[in-house]
Amino acid sequence: MRTLTPRRLAMAAVVLALGALAAGEPRPPGQDLMALAAEIEAERDHVSAPELAQWIRRGEPGLRIFDLRARAEYDELHVAGAEWVTLEGLLRLSLPGDAKVVLYSEGGAHSAQAWLLLRARGVRAVWFLREGMYEWIARVLEPRLPRDPSPAEQAEYDVALPLSRYFGGVPRRDVPRAQVPTGYWTGSETRATTPRVAEAVGRIRRRGC
Amino acid sequence: MSAPLPLDLGEPALLLTAPVLGFAFGWFLERSGLGHPAKLAAQFYLRDLTVFKVLFSALVTAMLGAFWLGRLGLLDLGRVYVPETFLLPQLAGGVIFGSGFVLAGLCPGTSCVAWASGRWDGLAVMLGMLAGVLGYMLAQPLLQPFADATSRGSVTLPHLLHVPTGLLVAAITAIALGGFALAERIEAKHAGVLEH
Repeated sequence: MRTLTPRRLAMAAVVLALGALAAGEPRPPGQDLMALAAEIEAERDHVSAPELAQWIRRGEPGLRIFDLRARAEYDELHVAGAEWVTLEGLLRLSLPGDAKVVLYSEGGAHSAQAWLLLRARGVRAVWFLREGMYEWIARVLEPRLPRDPSPAEQAEYDVALPLSRYFGGVPRRDVPRAQVPTGYWTGSETRATTPRVAEAVGRIRRRGC
Repeated sequence: MSAPLPLDLGEPALLLTAPVLGFAFGWFLERSGLGHPAKLAAQFYLRDLTVFKVLFSALVTAMLGAFWLGRLGLLDLGRVYVPETFLLPQLAGGVIFGSGFVLAGLCPGTSCVAWASGRWDGLAVMLGMLAGVLGYMLAQPLLQPFADATSRGSVTLPHLLHVPTGLLVAAITAIALGGFALAERIEAKHAGVLEH
């Protein structure tokens, strides 16, 4: 009996280990992708530009911001405290367990892809700016209040005003409606495009910011 | 919570699990004979490999359990805390821990077990351990830069080696079983394990 029990235990371990070898990963098949799909569906995958600005301002512990645009665009203008990284470089980074990662690119597509890759790699706290650099400029650096603001526009502007000043931006009121930036936050379907971002960055550069 | 099984115990019940697990851990250490310094020290001279056998079999049990509980959807491994790796500080800690272990013939857990089973040297090691904790806390501002050095994040072997988790589980189980067989042979050469 003295040698029989260890032998039985060893056999059980062998069976379980061979099963593990065949199973491959310790997750029910498809579970990870389903969980990610649910996160995307619930819109827990992105952070708004004003929220990110508040995180930076209050020194959110573990916050790491990554700019996925071309190096020249990063050098021209980037979100305060952001680090420039390529997609491959991002996946090679060793991030501490408590890191809060925020990704942004020009619009949202590239950073959404990076979000998916990082989450699939097991990084837990990851968000991206849905309209990227354009959203940062439109909602934090250069918030604009139209002459005839709706209550929602006024509320958005009141939040953005101190943030814009904190980050050295130029908030404007009484702006013609045609010049107020639009995006998902105004209910508009327009998306950030290269000319729109370049135009906004160019305007800031001319101002010498 | 480090093992998010689908059990909603609530805060007080969760706090109770710590002493229960602690007593169980101590009980098994004591029953394995690990409250005896001579037995523990004999490990380092390859005369009695009980420590290796007990701890490696615990590791294999936990590994196989975690793998299959995860695979069956009973344990969300994504929520299990993986301690971060700090290469140099942890190497230095390992050397200090090992030196203390071989010198005293007891480690922190087994020193508590030794004292609980009536050995005064167990208490001496416990007090030494607490003095070490106090000393470290006092020197912490000086040591913090070193403690934060060579951070590698939360690494796991499958990520580090780029191999499927199942392959590693099988390999580690094979190493353990081979190691146990070898340990038994070595012990047989030295006429069995030390009686306690």
